[in-house]
Amino acid sequence: MNSILTKFNWFGLAGGATTILLIVVSLVYPWWQLTVGDALFTVNASPVNMNMGFLDTSFTIPFIWALNIIGILTLLASGIAMLIYSIIPRKSYSKRLLGFGYKKPLFAVLFFTIGLVVATVICQVVLSLNIPLMGSTTSTLPIPFVSGITLTFLLSAGFQWPFWLAIVAAGLCIAARLYHGKAVAAPSV
Amino acid sequence: MDKIRLLLTVITIVIVVIPIVGILLAYRDNLLGLFVPPMITEIAVDLLGGDGDNAYGLEPPTIVGEPQYDEASHTFAVTFQYKNSFPVDITIKSLSGNIECDRDRFPLGNTSLSKPVSIDAGETGTLTVFGTWTEEAIDHFENEHEHEEFVDVFLVDFAVDFSGIQIQFDQSQMKQTIQVPNPAY
Repeated sequence: MNSILTKFNWFGLAGGATTILLIVVSLVYPWWQLTVGDALFTVNASPVNMNMGFLDTSFTIPFIWALNIIGILTLLASGIAMLIYSIIPRKSYSKRLLGFGYKKPLFAVLFFTIGLVVATVICQVVLSLNIPLMGSTTSTLPIPFVSGITLTFLLSAGFQWPFWLAIVAAGLCIAARLYHGKAVAAPSV
Repeated sequence: MDKIRLLLTVITIVIVVIPIVGILLAYRDNLLGLFVPPMITEIAVDLLGGDGDNAYGLEPPTIVGEPQYDEASHTFAVTFQYKNSFPVDITIKSLSGNIECDRDRFPLGNTSLSKPVSIDAGETGTLTVFGTWTEEAIDHFENEHEHEEFVDVFLVDFAVDFSGIQIQFDQSQMKQTIQVPNPAY
């Protein structure tokens, strides 16, 4: 029993599995969602899948789609590296796998959050649109866009449960890194 | 160990470079399309009243028939028709505006929608708007329009709230005057 507990890095296993699970759920559920009016316009954002919807039409921005592909492949590589490392934490190359894999979920969360903040600030400065990161606010579309007509609408935004799953995955991967010393130091049975 | 390090570095480079290079090659003839897909442009043109049959409707409603006036309560009813040219069903939650005398620019009262109205995609719905003349409006009709059976008025600050979005039409959009029965005639 003790040999099983010390043979693997369980934090790494959980982190790798959670990272791969995160990719799957993020393809369906966004990390952050913005809704305009009664879901007349929606933005579903995550590092692996970002799309927008207007009325019944859904579309994506090609450059962001490429970034999403990078996000998927990066998290997938991270998850696989973490899983392989966790099964064989004492191999000579295992620390390389750990170093490769453990930071990526954390970076995904950080870059995504910073990207959202920057995007909302840009909208505020360029379009005078006050987009909330969380909660609701009422905004008015700048008049130059619609001559003679002013649009006032409710903007509701919030982080969805996959975002918190991403934080859990990042936390588990960091815990795996912290636990690595103990996993290696434990006597091999 | 160096092979592992090299392999991981190559994987990192491939993961980043291939999607970026691929999308750049795919859009090499239309780099703007990388950031602004044609669909966004089409929607923006349609919203701004673009031409063609697919233009979405940000048009003001049109008045139908004669306004009805109830002398006892100083209330009136105006019927509008609104074509929903959006490709989805909408619900007009509210519709409001202030009424001013066309000749004197004198505020006469305000209006509101009797009840929310749902209009299917592509269909035209009928909206009944109720309003009340203010005491000052009655005085204005008596003093300034005592010999006129009908008075030209127009809507200002006209706003429609549908599906959570409020559209406010300014004066340039609401050129249509309405002939209302003079309550003081």
